[in-house]
Amino acid sequence: MVRYSGASTDFNEIHFSDRHARAIGLPSVVAHGMWTMGAGLKVVTDWVGDPARVLSYFVRFTRPVVVPDTDEGVEVVYTAKVTGVEDGVAKLSLSAHCGEDAVLGAARAEVRLD
Amino acid sequence: MPISAEHVGRRYPAAPPYVVSRAKIAEFARAVRDDNPAYFGDDPIAPPTFAAVIAAQAWGALFDDEELGLALNRTMHTDQNFTFHRPLRPGDAVVAELSIEKVRGRGNLEMITVLVDLTVDGEPACEARSTLMHTRPEEADDE
Repeated sequence: MVRYSGASTDFNEIHFSDRHARAIGLPSVVAHGMWTMGAGLKVVTDWVGDPARVLSYFVRFTRPVVVPDTDEGVEVVYTAKVTGVEDGVAKLSLSAHCGEDAVLGAARAEVRLD
Repeated sequence: MPISAEHVGRRYPAAPPYVVSRAKIAEFARAVRDDNPAYFGDDPIAPPTFAAVIAAQAWGALFDDEELGLALNRTMHTDQNFTFHRPLRPGDAVVAELSIEKVRGRGNLEMITVLVDLTVDGEPACEARSTLMHTRPEEADDE
């Protein structure tokens, strides 16, 4: 999270300070929504190869990824499914889960295949 | 007067261009744990969601607009949509222009959709559309 704060220049303290996260009612620090979104796109770019083929990407932030201060951290599991191909463009639907919880909603991307 | 549908269509002057660098691309790719070779080497491109780094800087105009009465620490990012026209590359001087696209009020909540147009040399590179949920403090409810 600290690394993403630096890379993105989003220095909201709730992403690296448990004290600030608790002050607004979170159990501990939470991942940046944009980290959760950005990391999820790897499922798509690993499949399509060239990230320049990504035409669009949408997500809804349904719940934060709570990150405990442990060696193990927390696991976010991403999956993507091709829902259709038309005119050389594949539509994909993505999911992101933290345990039982969906952390992204209605996530979808379009990629150029030609 | 707080933000309302009247502010739809308001556009803000672009901040000075953001110049993309190879080092920042590599740093961002590592932060999202993506080792795709396209982000490294001699002729890298930026990970698609790197556009958010530049777009989010343009949000500053929104929070600096005192007429709207918005506070960053009462704002949640509820959804994000990108349309990509071409990848960002080192040396690109990216101009980000923010406009207010939609405003809906529900009690003391305001749902605000903002569009950030990212262009390089006047050509579109990416549109980053975000919905922000803002909670207005009770005392400001003076309609």
